Amino acid sequence: MRKVAIYGKGGIGKSTTTQNTVAALAEMGKKVMVVGCDPKADSTRLLLGGLAQKTVLDTLREEGEDVALEDIRLRGFGNTYCTESGGPEPGVGCAGRGIITSINLLEQLGAYHENENLDYVFYDVLGDVVCGGFAMPIREGKAQEIYIVCSGEMMAMYAANNICKGIVKFANAGGVRLGGLICNSRKVDNEREMIVELAAQLGTQMIHFVPRDNDVQRAEINRKTVIDWKSDAPQADEYRKLARAIDANQKFVIPKPLTMDTLEHLLMDYGLAA
Amino acid sequence: MVLYPIADALHLVHGPLGCAAYTWDIRGALSSGPQLHRLSFSTDLREMDVIQGGEKKLAKALCQLIDLHHPKAAFVYSTCIVGVIGDDVEAVCRQVSALKGIPVLPVHSEGFKGTKRDGYRAACEALLQLVGTGSTEGISPVSVNILGDFNLAGEVWIIRDYFEKMGIEVVATITGDGRVDDIRRAHGAALNLVQCSGSMMHLAKQLQEKRGIPFKRVSYFGIEDMAQALYDTAGFFADKSPGIVGRTAALVSQELSTIMPQIAQYRRKLEGRKAAVYVGGAFKAFSLVRALRQLGMDTVMVGSQTGLREDYEELRELCDEGTIIVDDSNPLELSSFLQEKRVDLFIGGVKERPIAYKLGVGFCDHNHERKEPLAGFTGMLNFAREVYNTVASPVWRLTPRGAMRDRS
Repeated sequence: MRKVAIYGKGGIGKSTTTQNTVAALAEMGKKVMVVGCDPKADSTRLLLGGLAQKTVLDTLREEGEDVALEDIRLRGFGNTYCTESGGPEPGVGCAGRGIITSINLLEQLGAYHENENLDYVFYDVLGDVVCGGFAMPIREGKAQEIYIVCSGEMMAMYAANNICKGIVKFANAGGVRLGGLICNSRKVDNEREMIVELAAQLGTQMIHFVPRDNDVQRAEINRKTVIDWKSDAPQADEYRKLARAIDANQKFVIPKPLTMDTLEHLLMDYGLAA
Repeated sequence: MVLYPIADALHLVHGPLGCAAYTWDIRGALSSGPQLHRLSFSTDLREMDVIQGGEKKLAKALCQLIDLHHPKAAFVYSTCIVGVIGDDVEAVCRQVSALKGIPVLPVHSEGFKGTKRDGYRAACEALLQLVGTGSTEGISPVSVNILGDFNLAGEVWIIRDYFEKMGIEVVATITGDGRVDDIRRAHGAALNLVQCSGSMMHLAKQLQEKRGIPFKRVSYFGIEDMAQALYDTAGFFADKSPGIVGRTAALVSQELSTIMPQIAQYRRKLEGRKAAVYVGGAFKAFSLVRALRQLGMDTVMVGSQTGLREDYEELRELCDEGTIIVDDSNPLELSSFLQEKRVDLFIGGVKERPIAYKLGVGFCDHNHERKEPLAGFTGMLNFAREVYNTVASPVWRLTPRGAMRDRS
């Protein structure tokens, strides 16, 4: 079983990319579980056809300790398993602790057990690695490979670099490695070249360049992945390519984060070259 | 918990249950009236509360407890986890205060904010929200607040009685045998008397700065310090209250004539015996060194947990050459000093008792668990009796160390 965590700047398209990729993997016959690690609990909406999921934490709160796996795990598109850890209302409590609690519970309930015959677990984690709780999915024994979703926008690249710093810490303590950058295009000038170069400097690869296509939004309005909504759309093939690239990936590294200066230079060089 | 002796207030620890361990009626802070302070309450935060936030639970607990116990005020103590998850304790306190019509005061006592001294400061900040909210009408110009005495074994009653005999009105005792309404009008007093190494120092300094109320540092332990405290206070009011110095002298001499004959008897038996002292505050250590000297005993080791550099300078001047002075010690270090100096008596808090007993050394409690009042002139007599009973007890001859000494 491969355990994959998806990180990236807030709003960059982590959940959309994850679900489309998972749909493509499911189409390839892989058995996949998605663990949403975002208090908003919107990591499985496209696979489930709506926000149908009751979160792990809501279930724990309402039903106490006595929770069964079926209460918190639903079947989604292509027989994928979907869970949402959930979290507190905005502005109160500790969402980080929520993720720790719900991942522990999933383990206790045997969600990752061999009997489940899973090929993949995907952790879709909110925004940045802001505190210990959000790093839970990449601690020892959890996700071993990480993909960072980014674009050619400065803040997205900055966030990607920052996430790499977090990975370094956990890579030294455990076995987690960076599998690559997924460029979710924002149609920035020289975007592909810039992310290829950023990846190279970080010591990793751009595993796929996902072009911008409004079919993604159209599918979302229909509460579906592109693969589910319009299987023959060109964008569906892009996600299939990404899924195949991840499935075949052999390059797992401990990244070398850039200094702020180097990062700014990269942006200047490619941004002004246009 | 500096605030806990306020007897008609509700004391609620906002955090996991363990944070309220060792708070339920374990100290000897007595009240002459309400006993609410002897109960201990916790919001019992659990894992799901940490994730979802503890504000609602806090509000619910406060409302429930206020309805049940009708306190004059409520103090809410913040714990580490509450500080980390960022519960807006102030906002909850404001809401409940408006709803229930009593002051509800947050105490910012998150453990990671610092040491015991920072906790004292947090307590003073909470008190400062209360002081000044009551009417000062009818308060005598010859009046004091007693700060930093917790009324252990009724000590504040002894001290209060002395001042009243001198013709001084005691407005508020903070916090021993404390009452919310007294504290609210404490700003009407003419002078603050601050005992102990600083639990209430911040409050005294703030009241001086903001309300122009002067303060004096005093100690009520031992004959010298007790008399000094009374004379200093009398001197302060000499202009306003004619005859106060004479009244004080008469009081002191009467008290002394009662206790001195007995103390002299004990002294004869204790002369030349050796004592070690390890207490929380340095000010208490000063007083103990002086009181032991009064009993003819040498202090061969002395230390405190919260003393400052200047406190240790003062201790060095006070003690004889060769006295070991320690700061923030540990059991191993303490026991090696006790052995090295071959002491007859160890005075400390509850954690030091087993150290002494394992070594076969006599022990006297001088901490918040004590049941005998040791303050004032009466307290000095109690202290002398306790020291005598301990040091002169035949039981030490039966311990290996005592038996060895008898043989040599």
